[in-house]
Amino acid sequence: MNYSGTREAFAAALMELCEIDRKYQIVSADSAKAARVTDLIEKYPECYVEVGIAEQCAVDVAAGLASVGMVPFVATYCGFITMRACEQIRTFVAYPGLNVKLVGLNAGMLGGEREGVTHQFYEDIGILRSMPDITIVCPSDDTQTFLATKAIAKVNGPCYMRIGSNREPRIFNDEIPDFELGKIRILKEYGNDVVIFTYGFIMDRAIKAIEILKDMGIGASLVEVHTLRPLDVEGISAVLKRCGKAITYEDHYINGALGSAVSEIIAENCPAKLVRIALTEFPESGTPDELMKKYHIDTDDIIKAATLLCNN
Amino acid sequence: MKRNIHNLEKISNELRFDVVDMIYKSKDGHPGPSLGIGDLMTALYFSEMNIDPKDPYKPDRDRFILSKGHACPVVYAALAKLGYFSSELLPTLRTCDSILQGHPCMKNTVGIDMTTGSLGNGVAIGTGMEIARQRMNGKWYTFVITGDGELNEGVIWEAALAAVHNKCENLMVFVDFNNHQSGGHTDEVSGINPIAEKWLAFRWHVQEINGHDYNQIFAAIDAAKEEKGRPSVIVCKTVKGKGVSYMEDNNAWHKGVPSTEQWEIAKKELLGGFV
Repeated sequence: MNYSGTREAFAAALMELCEIDRKYQIVSADSAKAARVTDLIEKYPECYVEVGIAEQCAVDVAAGLASVGMVPFVATYCGFITMRACEQIRTFVAYPGLNVKLVGLNAGMLGGEREGVTHQFYEDIGILRSMPDITIVCPSDDTQTFLATKAIAKVNGPCYMRIGSNREPRIFNDEIPDFELGKIRILKEYGNDVVIFTYGFIMDRAIKAIEILKDMGIGASLVEVHTLRPLDVEGISAVLKRCGKAITYEDHYINGALGSAVSEIIAENCPAKLVRIALTEFPESGTPDELMKKYHIDTDDIIKAATLLCNN
Repeated sequence: MKRNIHNLEKISNELRFDVVDMIYKSKDGHPGPSLGIGDLMTALYFSEMNIDPKDPYKPDRDRFILSKGHACPVVYAALAKLGYFSSELLPTLRTCDSILQGHPCMKNTVGIDMTTGSLGNGVAIGTGMEIARQRMNGKWYTFVITGDGELNEGVIWEAALAAVHNKCENLMVFVDFNNHQSGGHTDEVSGINPIAEKWLAFRWHVQEINGHDYNQIFAAIDAAKEEKGRPSVIVCKTVKGKGVSYMEDNNAWHKGVPSTEQWEIAKKELLGGFV
């Protein structure tokens, strides 16, 4: 499995699904090119629905398709799905529990980077966590996106998958682990001084941070929370109990996503100290490295937070 | 197809009384919008649609979407009369533990093909259903009723484009053209008129009829079925509150609960001629 990015990996997985069963459909809001499914729709035109630049219509059409037994994947820029078509998702997909898959492309500040705020989306997970009954996943590289696409296809109900913009570094090179929906994954375990919970396409920065912390004498654990719903409360609680100090690190606005989810577990189940690293304001256009540094969601910010937690 | 129109008129009056009765007893609901589409509902559910209350989920059934979901009391009345569920449940409308939600819910109510209530979405959802039919080589039709005020919603026109682009020939949309919307006359509130011209510009097959005349309703449905390669819209001139004198063309009855005296008047007007 070697894809040039998460969008290609998604397209490859969907291609395999369509080969098996034409009930799988790609619903495009003039987003087929962006979702990298042009080969798929050429090969299986009967699996392609085009509605034009009309995201609310795309989600409604998907609801209609699903209501008679098709399994539509609506793939477009993640903010245009989760914000423009938010009510359609809530009322016509989540409420009736229809088997619609929503795929948010170019997610996060990194997903939009030089396009600027209009095309950077860091509210999607918070929005969807605020409504019931949608499975929410965010894989961390192309190999995981391929497997996550297959995993959500097996769920008989609404799912959202957040993917990137093809600037995601490969995380899993040698052994590619399974994508087990609803379970955390402990990626590194250098000690129980502090745990870093993260997900998505900033994983490489978290891995870099934990190695630096190790050299500094701080033994940290790195935990991937690729499924934001259903959240692995038991798994997260167990790690929190061991470490007592936690950092959440995400390419999302600070409220609503992983930082909030872990805060809820800490408040309800398992007292621990927590620092949330995420966006706290609207950023701007720029290269990924510039933006991550300027808006304080970089490797250095993890190291600072871990040092602060462990020295107090 | 030969249809017994006298019998349909009788059924529509019974449905209308069920609407007034359930809103009177449950003390909440939208009588005016429900009564206005009473004849369209009767034509569809008691003559036109291929449905089977004994097999409510049969895959090749015709689909119905009430895009203007607030008019659902008349759908509930039709489903009960056909035997989808007991008519004794009708007065539980909008009450806790009822299968009859304030707006249609496909999970709660057998016979409801799609959850609706948030205006503007029925045409787009119907487009999805019709595309699925094409892909499955089905023969069924998808019928949608929208309001005229509802045409203010942008997603209606997104779907108007998408349905033509996807050649949704078995999609039939009825516009309940009663010139009222929640806040008043459509000309005063939103200026949606003229309606037919807009659909024509979107390249739909367009007809304009009297939505209370069964001969016109069936002729329009037959003509729509003859039209191939594109969807059809039937703009139906209707009277909001049709059949109950004090509710007719009176937007005060968009939502409201009749008094006992008003309930008695409605009963006499709707059932008096047939009992």
